[in-house]
Amino acid sequence: MTSRPLIDVVKRGGKRTTERFDTGKLHASVLAACLSVRSPEGMARSAADSVCTVVNEWCSAKPEVTSDDLRRVAARHLERIHPEAAYLYKHHRLVL
Amino acid sequence: MNTFDSLAIIAVAALIHASFQLSVSMLTLLSSHTIGAKRSHARLLGLTNAFTFGVFVMTVLLMSAAALYVQIGLQSADLTLLWIVICGLLFGLGAAVWIFYYRREQGTALWIPRGMARYLSDRTKAAKQTGEAFGLGVSSVLAELLFSFAPLLVSAIILAQLAPSLQLVGILLYAVLSLLPLLIILGLVGSGHKISRIQRWREENKSFLQFIAGGGLVVLGFYLYVDQVLTPTVMAAAGGV
Repeated sequence: MTSRPLIDVVKRGGKRTTERFDTGKLHASVLAACLSVRSPEGMARSAADSVCTVVNEWCSAKPEVTSDDLRRVAARHLERIHPEAAYLYKHHRLVL
Repeated sequence: MNTFDSLAIIAVAALIHASFQLSVSMLTLLSSHTIGAKRSHARLLGLTNAFTFGVFVMTVLLMSAAALYVQIGLQSADLTLLWIVICGLLFGLGAAVWIFYYRREQGTALWIPRGMARYLSDRTKAAKQTGEAFGLGVSSVLAELLFSFAPLLVSAIILAQLAPSLQLVGILLYAVLSLLPLLIILGLVGSGHKISRIQRWREENKSFLQFIAGGGLVVLGFYLYVDQVLTPTVMAAAGGV
C-alpha cells in the first residue's frame, strides 16, 4: 500500500488538522471492522483490498476529500460485500 | 419496612442502575477493538474481565461509602424530609432519562458531552493491559454517576437501616444485579458471539431500554413516596385525631 500525496483529507468538518490520504490507514480500519465481527483473516483482507480499490478509484481525480466522504464511500461498498462489518464500520463512533 | 421489602427495593434500584448503558457501551467497544486488533481470546477475556471487575469494585466502594455517610447523617436528619428530597430526585431523573439519555441520532450515542465521549472512546480503543481495562471500568461508573446517584442513594438509605450482617448482603446484591448486563455481554463475547449482533440489538431496543430506565426511576420514586412519606404522615394524622 502506498500513500497518495496529492489528496488531502479534511477531518471532522475541518475541526482537526488536514492530512494526506493514506490507503494503508483505510485498509487497516476496514480490516479491523471485518476482524471485529470474527471474519476469517483471508476474507477480511480481501474485503479491505476491495474497499480500498473502490475508494482509490473514487478519489483519484479529487485534490481534497473529507473523512466523512471517505467513510461513506467505503461503508457503501463494504455493505455490499460484508454487511455485518459495514454496520460496525459505520457506527463505531456512535457507540458511546 | 421489613427485611424482604428492604432487599426488594435494593434489588429494584440495582436493576435500574443496570439499565444505564455507559459501561455496556464501553465494554462493547473494548471487545470490538480487542478482537479487531487480532489479540488472543485469552487477552480478550482478560481485558473484559478486568473491565467488569473495575465496575464491580467501584460500585461496591460507592455503595459502601454512601451507606456509611447516610448512617452517620441519619442520626440527626429528618428521614421523612430526606425521602421527600430523594423522591423528587427520582422523578426528575426519570424524566431526564426519558428526554436526554440517548441522543437523537443513529447508534447508541449517550447523553455524555461529545468531548468526554471521544476521550473515553479513544482510551477504550487504546487499552492493551488489564490494568487499563480495570481503570476504564472504574471511570465508566464515575462518568455515569449523574444518573446512577439516585438508585445508589436509595439503596444506601435502606442499607443504613438494616442489621449489619444484612448490610453486606445488600451491598453484594446491589453490585451483582447492577452488573447483570455486563455479565451477559461478557458471556456472549466469551462464547464467540458477534459484537455487531450485540450492538445491533442494543440499537434496535434503545428506546425500550430508555423507557424502562426512566420508568423504573419514576415507579420507585412513587412507591417510596407512598410508603415512606404519605403512609407515615397519614398514620400520624389518624393517630392524632
